[in-house]
Amino acid sequence: MKNKIKQLARSRGLENAILISILLFLYNLVFPMHDTLMLAVINELLVFLSIFFLYYYIIRFLNAKVDSPLTLILNAGILAALIFFIVSIANTILGSSNKNEQIGFFNSLFAVLLAFVFIGSVVYIFSTFRELFYLRQKRDPSAFFNSMLVFFALTFFSNLLIFFDPSFDYPKDAFYVVTIVLIFLNALRISWIAFLTKRQKYYLLLISIILSILFAINFMTFTENSIMTKVIYSFSPGLLSFLCLTMIYGTINFGVIFFTTLFHLPTAEAFDRKAAEVSSLMDLTKLITQVFDFKELAETVTSITSKVCNSDSSWLVLKKGKTLELSSVNNIGYVEADTITNNLLGTGQNDFDSIAIIQFDSFNNNSVNDKKFKSIAIAPLKVQKIINGYLFAARHREGNFDLDDKKAVQAFADYAAVALENAQLIGESIEKERLEKELDVARDIQRKILPHSIPTSEKLEISALFVPAFEVGGDYYDFFELDNDRIGFVIADVSGKGISAAFIMAEVKGIFESLSKLVVNPKELLAQVNSTLRNSLDKRNFVTAVYGIVNKKTGKLNFARAGHTPIMICSGSTIKNYRPAGIGLGLDTNINFASSIKELEIDLNNNDIILCYSDGIPEAKNDKEEDFGFERLESIVLKYRDEKLDFISEAVMKELSLFSKNHSQHDDITLVIFKWKNN
Amino acid sequence: MAEFNVNLRGVGPVSVIDVKGYLDAHTAPELENVFNKLLDDKQFKVVVNFNELKYISSAGLGVFMAYVETMRENSGDIKFSNMKENVYNIFDLLGFPILYEFFKEEKEAVNKFIS
Repeated sequence: MKNKIKQLARSRGLENAILISILLFLYNLVFPMHDTLMLAVINELLVFLSIFFLYYYIIRFLNAKVDSPLTLILNAGILAALIFFIVSIANTILGSSNKNEQIGFFNSLFAVLLAFVFIGSVVYIFSTFRELFYLRQKRDPSAFFNSMLVFFALTFFSNLLIFFDPSFDYPKDAFYVVTIVLIFLNALRISWIAFLTKRQKYYLLLISIILSILFAINFMTFTENSIMTKVIYSFSPGLLSFLCLTMIYGTINFGVIFFTTLFHLPTAEAFDRKAAEVSSLMDLTKLITQVFDFKELAETVTSITSKVCNSDSSWLVLKKGKTLELSSVNNIGYVEADTITNNLLGTGQNDFDSIAIIQFDSFNNNSVNDKKFKSIAIAPLKVQKIINGYLFAARHREGNFDLDDKKAVQAFADYAAVALENAQLIGESIEKERLEKELDVARDIQRKILPHSIPTSEKLEISALFVPAFEVGGDYYDFFELDNDRIGFVIADVSGKGISAAFIMAEVKGIFESLSKLVVNPKELLAQVNSTLRNSLDKRNFVTAVYGIVNKKTGKLNFARAGHTPIMICSGSTIKNYRPAGIGLGLDTNINFASSIKELEIDLNNNDIILCYSDGIPEAKNDKEEDFGFERLESIVLKYRDEKLDFISEAVMKELSLFSKNHSQHDDITLVIFKWKNN
Repeated sequence: MAEFNVNLRGVGPVSVIDVKGYLDAHTAPELENVFNKLLDDKQFKVVVNFNELKYISSAGLGVFMAYVETMRENSGDIKFSNMKENVYNIFDLLGFPILYEFFKEEKEAVNKFIS
């Protein structure tokens, strides 16, 4: 039942209020005088219901405005002033004519309209009080307020008791008094005052005293035996008591607000500062996630520190390795801030592991501090026990940094520390992305350098397989058709990885391509490549290579090796690894490169298979960190020696991936296979 | 992550570097730091003990190449000792035995400097 009424009242507050008001209006035009109990009861009920529905409508409307209590108060004050003016004007104009009172149609119409204005205003004011009451309440205080409402209603209807017996008015007075007591209790709930800013508190102080007096005057005019009182009383005695009670509520409420605000004034500044601190910390939190540029954040931190901690200057330094670097300054020159920082921290005696305050007395004011700061707070920027820098706040005036200031400076330093960490992490991830792009470039270079077609022929079948590693090794192979009979080939491996290896590879290709046309002796060619390459190789880089020439006319293979993996030749069912002496290209520090190189000449037999490969094959690793080795390669070649060359390289690759299935490919894999056919 | 450890000790006038674990592009800078320190201290006679080294990559080899010239210019050298077979094979393939001195035992390498 109760819920139903509530729902009805809430869902259609305005319609209900208008409907009841119209009924009330018509009723009063028909029955201007309520001199029988029946008429009076119906009238009172209608008035009560209009108030009730209007109240429910207005509190919903006001709910949207609770963020600005001062506006609410001002609106209530304006309506109170309106009531005051209507009452005063009506009393002055009609004051003398009340003797020959006549119930004319216009009189009663005027009285009813006036009553409506009063109902509207007073309900609005009352709703405002309700909003102020509920404002910033942590626990639900509705029991107190609702019991007060009940007594308001009781007082309202107790007026009807006079109809039974004119002397039967003590229940009404009793309810009246109880209501006032409850008003008193409820008026004390004004914790929202604490949350106002200092300026708002001054404003509230002024308004509340004016309104308290205004409501008191209104109350007194309603208790006087004036014409307006009579008009309202004859319209509805309950409305008059409601008006009086609301005026009392206003007087008490604003009186309490006045005194409370007065007592709150001394702490207003501290409260403001705390609030500013909290809101700036919140701003900083937002900044941390948004700002990529640490510099910008550092500037915000220093300016906020100056403002919130009441310091004259502040600055932020960051540790870059062993040196300190000023990141941002507020109200102090870079040079001065630097001098002070170095004087305080430069000695390295004190690393200020936690916030410290340094005081300067006038005697001690030496070169440390030519700006004549009286005290300086130093807070470390600490993330996981590592100090990345310091936040400084300095004051000219007397008075130490108190506990709150210290906490605030440290809080800002902590935020700066986290932001710094963030900025670094973002930087790292950008760097990582850049490296990945770089690898893409390196892969691209490698792909373009390797030959697009293989000069396979009837006498010399050729197959080449290349599988790049994620990081891009420096593998390179190529073929050169020297003349109608001779085919030169090279397989090389540049030490190092990534883009630098790719560039050296490109150079190696250029050198081999141009020299292979001029020098037809493998040993001589490698020696010349070495001397050309030496100028551009870094001390710690080297290139291994095998260069060979197959003469299709004579069936001879000439080759030389520079530090590269051996050449494997499978002839029938025997496998031989040829490893002529030879150091890697770019390794010759103290000996003659050419003298270290031996050249081999081999006569090829029909169906001989020649394998050249990079160390990515024998050095491939498995779970147990074992090498793939040479034997596994040999047995595959032996097993499939009669198959097609592509089949052999696929078999090698298959075996390799099985062997190192749980291991990422560490190095490029290159495999070039030749098959000699003597017909 | 493959582990690598490097330790420096003095045996008479010779500095001995013990390398342990995996020496590759990621761990090579650690070894470089040791060599830089030796240059700072003007210690040019170096023996690298490979007893506990499991793997060396081309970047690891590059470290020795980068410093050996300076050592030799200052009448010092970098000598290698106690190398496991698989590690030696890598050096051997590249022709390092022509360029550097390899010893079975650290003592022999140290003595070569002293004599």
